[in-house]
Amino acid sequence: MVSVTNVTKAFGDVVAVSDVSFTVGPGITALLGPNGAGKSTLFRMLCGLASPTRGEVRVLGRNARTDTEVRGRIGLAPQQDALFDRLSAVEFVTIAAEMHGMAEPRAAALGVLDIVQLSADDPKPVGSFSKGMRQRVKLATALVNDPDVLILDEPLTGLDPVQRRRMIQLFNELGAAGKCLLVSSHVLDEVARLGSKVLVIAQGRLAAAGDYHALRDLMDDRPHRIRVNVEDPRRFAAALIERGLVDGVSLGNDLEIDTSNVDAFGRGVAPVAKELGIRLSGVAPIDDDLESVFRYLVERR
Amino acid sequence: MNGSVSSTRVIAITYRVLIRQLVSRGRLVALSLIGGVVALVGWAVGRAAHNEPWLTPEDVEQIRLNDAVTAVTNLGFTILVPIVALVFAAASLGDTREDGTLVYLWLRPMRRWAIVVGAWLAAITVSLPLTVIPMVASAYLLDAGTDLIIGTAIASVVGVIAYSALFVLLGLLVKNSIVWGLGYIVIWEGVVAAFGSAAAKVAMRGYTSSIVSERTGVEIDIGTLAQTTAIMVPIIVAGFALWLAAARLNNLEVA
Repeated sequence: MVSVTNVTKAFGDVVAVSDVSFTVGPGITALLGPNGAGKSTLFRMLCGLASPTRGEVRVLGRNARTDTEVRGRIGLAPQQDALFDRLSAVEFVTIAAEMHGMAEPRAAALGVLDIVQLSADDPKPVGSFSKGMRQRVKLATALVNDPDVLILDEPLTGLDPVQRRRMIQLFNELGAAGKCLLVSSHVLDEVARLGSKVLVIAQGRLAAAGDYHALRDLMDDRPHRIRVNVEDPRRFAAALIERGLVDGVSLGNDLEIDTSNVDAFGRGVAPVAKELGIRLSGVAPIDDDLESVFRYLVERR
Repeated sequence: MNGSVSSTRVIAITYRVLIRQLVSRGRLVALSLIGGVVALVGWAVGRAAHNEPWLTPEDVEQIRLNDAVTAVTNLGFTILVPIVALVFAAASLGDTREDGTLVYLWLRPMRRWAIVVGAWLAAITVSLPLTVIPMVASAYLLDAGTDLIIGTAIASVVGVIAYSALFVLLGLLVKNSIVWGLGYIVIWEGVVAAFGSAAAKVAMRGYTSSIVSERTGVEIDIGTLAQTTAIMVPIIVAGFALWLAAARLNNLEVA
């Protein structure tokens, strides 16, 4: 339903998306990546809001930038928090339905507002809404034309846990109904709940693609760097190397170790300290943030 | 099921959305104040005494008319009309582009030229009462006859139509369009147009001033065009500006 072939997008000297290719069919596909990775730029190109510098983007076999009809089959919830602030929620969504040429725009708006659990009777302008409510207005607007392809840029941001759960359930229902959903996130746990298909984008490049669980294993199996606070780091490091618990060590103010078997290291580090009679006061990963994971995935490609 | 949206419907929807966004209390108060100043100047100039003993009543009437036309063309068509049109027209699509709401217009299956026309009509709707009313009030208070009032009204409407189209285009071309627009009004309409009739032909002020000049019979350096030309050229320019704006919107990369 969506295909991206060797797509590059540059703004002057800055390359936001670099030679990315993938195809996506019905169901949910999560686009995972840190902030600034190029997810929103990729989404903008999918919707036709921007054209690629190189490569080709097709949605339902067409180019959304030039094809008016296909734009009517796309629903977009953009990341930016911009709405026509003087309109009420029902006015905003009804107008979106009118813009799509819906036969009964108000009825369509009431339907989707009910889905996202916003009151159609609320006369307040959306400019006075909380972030979570505004996010739900955007989702309602994206859904109002019953699109075949839904592009949702960080749609869960600002939602409370109950709303998050509700929206994830909704996305899964839409995916099961044969819609193509592309959902971006920079939160790994969120992606885990969105489904099994994942595209990882980092530094503008496609770092990994496939099943979420395989990706998770890959992330867990990567070399880890861990800081160890001990009384006698030199002797302790020698003991760790001798027992094969680490791949390398670095001795500075603290002991930093590299290991590709984090489970074995975790099980072995305390017994070694006890055996040597060395006081172990702390063990903490120093590259466990998502950025490091993405960097690793990019570097291994 | 979704259907295609007719161009008339697109114009109406865009108009409805944007007019709500454009009208704010701050804008209305500030621009009404400028209009009030124009009317006040009209009243002051209209009350100016011409008691010189060598002047005949006809001389006094002619001087009064000359002063009135000068006041209307200098204050109204150099400041009020272009500035009011700038504030609303540049904001109509320019603001949506800058704040990110343009995506809700751009992504829909709607013709781009119809979006531009809807934005232009919204800008005109808000600008007309804020310009025509104080300009006509000023012409009335200048107490220089019906021709000045009619000429001022026609020129104000023509000016709003043309400037609004130009500034809708400007809002899509540049960021900070108000600053660029003010630069244009001051440098081009204010200074360049003042260099005489040839220069005035490339500024909108030359056409609006010509309408008043032709109507009242008062000769102005920058207003030497026939009334039909002075009305038709700005309308043609407006049409061309809207066509360019539609082309620009079509090729725009929307953030």
